[in-house]
Amino acid sequence: MRGSPWRRIGWRNLGRNPKRTALTALGLAVGYFAVVFMVGWSEGIVAELIENSTSLVSGQIEIHHAEYRPERSLYDTIGGRAGADFEALLRAIDADRAVTASAPRAYAGGLISSGEATSAGMLLGVDPAREVRLTRFLDPLVAGVLPAAGRNELVVGDELARQLAVGVGDELVVVASGADGSMANDLYAVAGIYRTGLVEFDASTAVMPLTDLQTLVVLGPDRIHEIAVATADPSTAAATAARLSATLDADGRAVTVAPWTELNPVLREYAALADSVYLVFIAIIFAVASFGVANTMLMATFERRREFAVMLALGAAPRSIVGIVLYEALAIGAISVAAGAAITVPLMAWFHVAPPGLGWLYGDVTIYGALLTPSLRVGHNVPVWTWATVGLVLTALAAAFYPALRAARTPPADTLSGI
Amino acid sequence: MNMSARVLVVLALRNLRRQLRRTALTASAMIVGGALLVFSLAVGDGGHEQWIDSGVRLGTGHVTVEHPGYRVSRRIDDRLPADVRRLAEQAFAAPDIAPYVVASSAKLSLNGLASSAAGSRPARIVAVDPVAEAGFGMLDDQVVAGRYLEPADRLAAYVGAALVDSLELRIGSRFVVQAQDAHREIAGQLLRVVGVFRSGLPEVDQTVLQIPRDTAGEWLGSARDVTNVGAVLSASAATAGVRGRLERILAEPVARGDARVMGWRESDPALAAAVAVDDFGNYLVQAFLFTIIAFGVVNTVLMSVMHRHREFGVLQALGLTPRQTGAIVLVEGLTLSAVSGLIGVGLGLTLTWWLFGDGLDLSGMMDEANGLTVSGAVVDPVVVPLFSVRRIAECALFILGVGVAASIYPALRAARIDVTEAMKFDR
Repeated sequence: MRGSPWRRIGWRNLGRNPKRTALTALGLAVGYFAVVFMVGWSEGIVAELIENSTSLVSGQIEIHHAEYRPERSLYDTIGGRAGADFEALLRAIDADRAVTASAPRAYAGGLISSGEATSAGMLLGVDPAREVRLTRFLDPLVAGVLPAAGRNELVVGDELARQLAVGVGDELVVVASGADGSMANDLYAVAGIYRTGLVEFDASTAVMPLTDLQTLVVLGPDRIHEIAVATADPSTAAATAARLSATLDADGRAVTVAPWTELNPVLREYAALADSVYLVFIAIIFAVASFGVANTMLMATFERRREFAVMLALGAAPRSIVGIVLYEALAIGAISVAAGAAITVPLMAWFHVAPPGLGWLYGDVTIYGALLTPSLRVGHNVPVWTWATVGLVLTALAAAFYPALRAARTPPADTLSGI
Repeated sequence: MNMSARVLVVLALRNLRRQLRRTALTASAMIVGGALLVFSLAVGDGGHEQWIDSGVRLGTGHVTVEHPGYRVSRRIDDRLPADVRRLAEQAFAAPDIAPYVVASSAKLSLNGLASSAAGSRPARIVAVDPVAEAGFGMLDDQVVAGRYLEPADRLAAYVGAALVDSLELRIGSRFVVQAQDAHREIAGQLLRVVGVFRSGLPEVDQTVLQIPRDTAGEWLGSARDVTNVGAVLSASAATAGVRGRLERILAEPVARGDARVMGWRESDPALAAAVAVDDFGNYLVQAFLFTIIAFGVVNTVLMSVMHRHREFGVLQALGLTPRQTGAIVLVEGLTLSAVSGLIGVGLGLTLTWWLFGDGLDLSGMMDEANGLTVSGAVVDPVVVPLFSVRRIAECALFILGVGVAASIYPALRAARIDVTEAMKFDR
């Protein structure tokens, strides 16, 4: 006999007890959804962490003077003390095919005072027009507008504004030590207030136009500390960084081009850790699900032991009986995958496109300094759909193996004689 | 009624015994589920306890007493009045609070600017009593160069490694800190680096420096005042109780608006959120697992109802009410799931305690993510499982709930049997 009648018998048996089949398939389908959803959610978390650590405040790639990190000294500007024609650098960087935005920055520490209260902070000098194309934290602002160059304006974090008890339009005194060793101070108006959600950052950082900061701390107009770069896809940042490094080094400048994977290696490793947990998780879910399948198959084969006995008595090989049961299990697996996909696809699409917020459950979290907002956003993970399908079908087959063997070993004479 | 209840239970249990293999398989799923539930919750709670401990030791403790305005302003103006501070310190030593207190420390923390020839950086300056802080915090054990502060120190600073790097300091180097003093003037102070620490938390290593409290008092004109008195407790579960007692003792200054008592969830919402998101993930996984297991229970009990169609018909013909027939099935399903679930819980407890009681070392798995930090807490790769009566009770209740939920439909089916139809001899 060919294989087909066994297949048909296996398939037909599912219809004998539709309720039982449905319950078993539902159990597996829930397992399928659980695997795809949990891995997707975990991917969503990792994706948001990476996104927030590379586009909220920092860039995906940062270019500094070779000596700048980790000390981040005021004097280690790109191109050394003489500075560099950073407009030309920006043009060279923007010419790269993967780069979507780049922006120059300068940093200095200073005291920021409202008269009533004083706080120490970081002063960040940016080119507002370029910065908003690169990072998200200045657009939109919580209140006010971006600072305009040459008008002694700055924007502060909401936490800093609260600590200094200032609002838009109020004046602040900024005291900082200049690159020439002098103590510089000047009066600034609060043009706007931003909020990143990173409390430490919001409590300490004031942002002003690059040229204003250069004037305050007596840095020449060619001196900047950093060029931040955004690319279309964070996962290609390392390759882009290597390409940029080759381009910029060719001009003989002592710069380092670091992708986020190098600036924040722990985050990349966290992503790898999440990956390694997936397999354990898939194994646990399907191991528990396999009990249900085993039970169903045991029941189904036990009920039909007279039928198997008749087949064996008529000359069917025990292998064929094993085949029938395994085909039945395979059919349950196929139904479960279909049911699982029917539950999973729309829910995952919903969670991906319009993730429900979880703000009622928990607030902002930071993982290794990267912000995570409460939402059920799920990421794309194509392999996990395959893994879940393979895992489900293997579970169904493995769980049916023992019932199949038992069915094949049905003693025909004894079974047929006794009722 | 008593008699008939016993008969119903006997009938239910007999049915479980009748199909031993089926019962055993369904029970196995439940046992594995129960054991996994206890294991993952104990490991999760143990991990969280460690995050919390690490977070509150770097922060203001499990419970803290501070001026209500301080959280918002972070200004020295909003420091704790001397009498409230004394009262708070006495409260931590009170007989109904002291047994829970592992260490307490009164600190003055404020933002300032640290400057050297290499530049200036914003810094979180924490003025401490070196002896009390050594018991409270963990930074004193994380020396990478030099030593921790000592009681006799003057003008000494214990500085985070990244801050030391960015100011290009060394042991013995001098640098200046500036901050607003008690008279609202900007005051500067010369300090000398006596020690360098590395906590593993970038936000701490880049900003925190500790100085002796007396030095801060002279520098800022704040005498011996502090911004908070906090305590590390023996377990985070004691927080609510200790907090309540503190609030009673400090009722008068709290009402006056001079003090506020906070638990770690309030003083560190990001840490509370990290625990909540981790728990939520764990609960989701358990919900999925038990949904799968529940389908198995429904299947088993429903099948046994179908097979005993005639039997239930006979029972009802003999006078059992539909309600009693349903009860048999309910007891059957509940016994199956509850007994096996509870065995699973017991097994999980024993195995977790026996195998991992001294700590489950995840460093192999976390090898690559060494130095992971969550919301201001360093994650220790060795997790010591935490067992609590409350958790075990929750597990037991949850399993009972799953058992009831899974038996309801089969029970309804059994109750709704058409007696004549069921007893028809159709074989």
